[in-house]
Amino acid sequence: MHRSVRLTTLTSMALLALGGIAQAQQQPPQAPNMTFFVTSSGPGKGAELGGLEGADAHCQKLAATVGAGAKTWRAYLSTNTNLAEPTKTVNARDRIGKGPWQNFKGDVIATSVDDLHSANNKLNQATGLTERGNKLPGVGFTPNYHDIMTGSQPDGTAFPGNMNMTCANYTSSQFGKVEVGHVDRTGLADTAQAHSWNSSHQSRDCSQEGLISTGGNGLLYCFAAQ
Amino acid sequence: MNTTMRSSILASAALLALVLGGAAQAQDAANMTFFVTSEGPGKGGDLGGLAGADAHCQKLAAAAGAGSKTWHAYLSSSTNAANPGATVNARDRIGRGPWQNAKGVVIATSVEDLHSAGNKISKESGLTEKGTVVNGVGDTPNQHDMLTGSNMDGRAMPDNVNLTCNNWTSSNFGSAIVGHVDRRGNADTIFQHHWGSSHMSRGCTQPDLVATGGNGYFYCFAVN
Repeated sequence: MHRSVRLTTLTSMALLALGGIAQAQQQPPQAPNMTFFVTSSGPGKGAELGGLEGADAHCQKLAATVGAGAKTWRAYLSTNTNLAEPTKTVNARDRIGKGPWQNFKGDVIATSVDDLHSANNKLNQATGLTERGNKLPGVGFTPNYHDIMTGSQPDGTAFPGNMNMTCANYTSSQFGKVEVGHVDRTGLADTAQAHSWNSSHQSRDCSQEGLISTGGNGLLYCFAAQ
Repeated sequence: MNTTMRSSILASAALLALVLGGAAQAQDAANMTFFVTSEGPGKGGDLGGLAGADAHCQKLAAAAGAGSKTWHAYLSSSTNAANPGATVNARDRIGRGPWQNAKGVVIATSVEDLHSAGNKISKESGLTEKGTVVNGVGDTPNQHDMLTGSNMDGRAMPDNVNLTCNNWTSSNFGSAIVGHVDRRGNADTIFQHHWGSSHMSRGCTQPDLVATGGNGYFYCFAVN
């Protein structure tokens, strides 16, 4: 074989290999059987998610990037009746299907809606993975992103209508607060609410900065409803 | 009877009526066991805790001639990371009633009555310690929001929310549940008509309280 031909062949092989690496970097790991994840990122406008529809679409979009887009994805969020939107009460627990739900690695985090809202659920920092299979930085990490928006009470139902714990039903980065849960089940105090995955405390406000300031980053729980 | 004498009797009668009237008014103020603060401490939701709020009630009551009673603010506080074990229900700290306003109108006969649909709190009866009406919906500015930090039963909110401005110690953190003394709001909902638990304030600063229709006022009750 002529020397230049050999070089060309080697170069081609190297290029091919490089291309393969580039492709692997662009293509996230696939998880077609996943039915639960925490969003790796939020829409970026604080708790203004475009309402429940916008939040669901965000879940769907992220799920599609890892090969799980064939399912119907729902954000775990409640909305409540308020001045702007009377009779808007929706309970997060009623919109996520029946379970069981499993994470990126196949770990079942809850077998049913009741199980999910009981002390028996298996949601914690090790299992509360993003759609890409990554853990989230919790207490002890800088920054801490353990606050996951839910707008819900511990049993997964909406707050009463005299409270705005949903940033005006996820349409505002200005008005109200949003209730969050701790995906790492850890907080500043050894209390039931600090250990709650879905109802730990309210955010400072509804802006992205406000969410970050209390230990979050505008992240959501997503469940495959079917 | 000559004209001078008749005039003098009339004048005496008028004077007596005036004195009696004044006495009646003073008597009502002395018997007052409920009022809305005519002013707040001025630092939004920072009232100096429950103790500071109670002292504010006591001070205003004393200025109106009702300082011999023990006054408590109608406020709840809740357990949170900063204040473990701090849960206090507003309904448990106001005595047993009945309570009457600066004009002698009974606004509730008991704690149960106060937290039922039968209570008589309204724009007309929810008077300040001076006997004045508080601005409500339709007035400018609207100051109908009363700080309570309580649910409709007069109890503390759960621990996963901070709707007491850090138990009335902060003008920075949290929000405050307020009630509408005029029983009116922007919508026809049970909450908007509620005197004790209508909605959250925007925040805990004085401007935040003003922004949502308040001015940092609260309810005061004589406990004895």
